[in-house]
Amino acid sequence: MDITAFLKSLEASGLATRIREALWLFPLIESTHVIGLSLVFGTILIIDLRLLGIASTRRSFKQMASDILKWTWAAFALTALTGTLMFITNARVYYHNFFFRTKMLMLVLSGINMLVFELTAGRTIHGWDNAPSAPRAGKAVAALSLAMWIGIIVMGRLIGFTTTRAAVLAPPPAGVNFDDFLQGTPDKSGGTPTTPTDRK
Amino acid sequence: MRQFAKWLSTTFLSVLIQKHNSWVIPTIQSIHIVGIGVVVGSVFMIDLRVLGWAWMDQTLRQTTRRFGPWLTAALGVLLTTGVLMVIGEPVRELVTFSFWLKMFLVAVGTLIAALFQITLRKHEQRWEETLVRRRFIKCLAVLTFLIWLCIIILGRLIAYDHVWGSWSPATKT
Repeated sequence: MDITAFLKSLEASGLATRIREALWLFPLIESTHVIGLSLVFGTILIIDLRLLGIASTRRSFKQMASDILKWTWAAFALTALTGTLMFITNARVYYHNFFFRTKMLMLVLSGINMLVFELTAGRTIHGWDNAPSAPRAGKAVAALSLAMWIGIIVMGRLIGFTTTRAAVLAPPPAGVNFDDFLQGTPDKSGGTPTTPTDRK
Repeated sequence: MRQFAKWLSTTFLSVLIQKHNSWVIPTIQSIHIVGIGVVVGSVFMIDLRVLGWAWMDQTLRQTTRRFGPWLTAALGVLLTTGVLMVIGEPVRELVTFSFWLKMFLVAVGTLIAALFQITLRKHEQRWEETLVRRRFIKCLAVLTFLIWLCIIILGRLIAYDHVWGSWSPATKT
């Protein structure tokens, strides 16, 4: 199947059009993406520091994993969903973006890294569950995981600078803005103040 | 404020950041996001403990001893990178509604975190035995988490401040 045609059809979809045209949707989706990724990174960091023997060293690893990883997966789902929604608004540009591709590659590598853990240190948890750190393989996985996730964050930010930056600087599209929620009338001029309220 | 922002953008450090903005700004922002991850992760864990959903094999005090220092350190990183971003792009940051609402909520969030840690240290037994079970305290835990989520949203909205319409000073020229 022709990838360009597929990406084009994504961009032309009703959902993508709606997100592009609504003033609030893209910023809110992006904010939700940041909320999701900060929870993914924050929770993975706690697990990785435990594996490395840096923090929570006196707590059972199994207990921590069962406390935390369900939230990591929920947050990852939220992040992937919001990421997909942003992707379809400008699919061809993202698809060809170097940082986007690098980020996707790093996500796949993180997944493989996780599988490596399951096949190595993950098999012998009962033996080191209460030890202050994981065996060498577990530590290596944790260090790689941290490096990869920080890299994913950096790539994500660079995508923003190389794709949507222009859209941010362009004049705001004529659409619903905050005034309309307050006044209930569509602001045709799009972002031009209708009531002079000085907040500072 | 606009005048102050313009003056700030002519200072040495600001000019230096602007000169190298193609990599300095994304780098600072990335460090800022890593810091956000640590703050949100730490607040989330302490709140889950208060709610009784995680870390139940640890006392409240043990949980805050684990996450409190990370929270403080990460807030320091966020303050530093945040100040650098303001110096680097003063008009983009200071002449927005989102930034000032965010700063207000950051002050509230930090105050709650500080007060919580101080009273927990002082009245440890009371917290562990009764206070942590109070519905009011559990609500406060949820509210605190929501405040940090709002801070994230407002941080991102700085780049889209026009969504606030006439509330945004950025739309006035």
